[in-house]
Amino acid sequence: MVRSYGERRALDGFSLSVPAGGVFGLLGPNGSGKSTFITLLAAMEAPPEGRLAVFGEAPAPPLRARVGTVFQENAQDPLLSVRETLGLAGRLFDVPRATLAARQAELLVAFGLAGRENDGVASLSGGMRRRLEMVRALLHDPELVLLDEPTTGVDVDERRALWEALLGPARARRTILLATNDLAEADAVCDQVAFVSAGRVVATGTPSELKRGLRREAVRVTWPGVTDEQLATIATWPGAGDVTRQDGVLHVTVDDAAAFVPRLFEFAPGAIRGVQIEQSTLEDAYVRYVGHRTRTPEPVA
Amino acid sequence: MSAAAACSALFARDLRSVVRSRSQLYSSIFTPLLILVFLGNGVSEGLDPANLSDGNFTAYLVAGAVVMTAVFSSTFSSAAYYRDRDTGLMRMLLSSPHSARIILLGKSLAGVAIGMVQAFVVLCVAAPFVDFEWQYGLIPGLLIALAAVALLNVMLAGIAQTLASRIQTMQGFHLLMNLALFPLLFFSGAFFPIDGLPTWLEVLAYVNPLTYAVDALQLAAYASSDATYIGLAVDFAVLIALSAAVYALGLARTPKLTWSGA
Repeated sequence: MVRSYGERRALDGFSLSVPAGGVFGLLGPNGSGKSTFITLLAAMEAPPEGRLAVFGEAPAPPLRARVGTVFQENAQDPLLSVRETLGLAGRLFDVPRATLAARQAELLVAFGLAGRENDGVASLSGGMRRRLEMVRALLHDPELVLLDEPTTGVDVDERRALWEALLGPARARRTILLATNDLAEADAVCDQVAFVSAGRVVATGTPSELKRGLRREAVRVTWPGVTDEQLATIATWPGAGDVTRQDGVLHVTVDDAAAFVPRLFEFAPGAIRGVQIEQSTLEDAYVRYVGHRTRTPEPVA
Repeated sequence: MSAAAACSALFARDLRSVVRSRSQLYSSIFTPLLILVFLGNGVSEGLDPANLSDGNFTAYLVAGAVVMTAVFSSTFSSAAYYRDRDTGLMRMLLSSPHSARIILLGKSLAGVAIGMVQAFVVLCVAAPFVDFEWQYGLIPGLLIALAAVALLNVMLAGIAQTLASRIQTMQGFHLLMNLALFPLLFFSGAFFPIDGLPTWLEVLAYVNPLTYAVDALQLAAYASSDATYIGLAVDFAVLIALSAAVYALGLARTPKLTWSGA
């Protein structure tokens, strides 16, 4: 698919097949085309150049009855109460009146909002409003759930509770498409992922498939003033993999951190302020395929 | 899911929002009433307008105040498109299984209803305090006024929606609505009779759609005869044709959803 806005190509040869069932992660930095793809799947824009099918059909308004969407920003009227917000969504998405109250109560309990039905939306915390977005998107029991950065601004505890509720008993019978630039979160919840960069899908697979073949460990080095020449030298060392730099922190994937770190201190005595060693992550896999990190791209060597 | 049910859900939601925006509600009713009280009495007592055929200036001004209320109300109601866009709610509405036309229809019908109620409240509050003739009788007069107010609000909703669909910022929208509608108010017969005006101003008055709403309201409540007025047949023919055309034009345009200005 290709989708252009003026001179800018938001999708530029974007090609992807999302299997039914489970959680599929769409991972990439801001502006990589994730939200555009979500908007097209939700049939909220004219179809792109190329072919796009949801449930085997071209996206159109009636198809939205089978889709629930959580947008990157909240989609709520602050003048309404929680109950009124869900009542409006229920009527727009054809939830029968007879079942609306029960469905609403069930989801409010699952997402920790029970007892807040009569509260104004404006009085809810940021995390609660994100959870209300989830409840609203799941109210009509959609087969496909589109989540565009659903946990932005949500603290760690809220995030865990939100995912527990979302991945509850209904997980098996619905497809969740998660667009995010939080690769740790995607690693934890996704069955399959696609790496997106500059409007294209550059790799797909399960998180473990994509991490396979990576160097075993990742070393983060706080090294203010590191030069491009020094980085280029490190990249040539045996056992060193991808080398990137972000905000004065050097990131190197290595086969054996125990051998790499002493050599590093010998190479730059007195310049290194701190070292952190961890297992390679999906973020490292992303760097390997795309060439830069998801948040602030700064490719090196 | 029927389109009617979706429309009624949006209708109810927009009414609820307006009722909860007390300042908006009160200012759209009280501003025209204050103009009526101060401008009407001031001009009646201070200038003694001799060209009015029936009653005093305060009674004459009621029709203008009613039209002004409808103008305020349609501006506020259409500004809700911007609020819904900026709160993100519009995205949720447009992610539902209904076309953008249905969403707009539900919202604009709410705007029409709110404008009608507010304008009619101004008429009913003012009526006991001024010298109205009710030449067709009280109930027929009220029904004629209600019909004129309804058509006026449909037309204004169409104008506002047409502008809102093409203007990115709420500030720009308010500016253009004021720029377009306030001059129209001045030569609509709202504040002074168009009969006897200089020819150029009289021509402008006759191509002004608000003139026909003011005329119908004057005939329904204030006037003692049809002389010097345009007449109900022409008023309603113009209002029906214009409101249908402009409302259809407004519904044919979907609002811009993406925020591109700051």
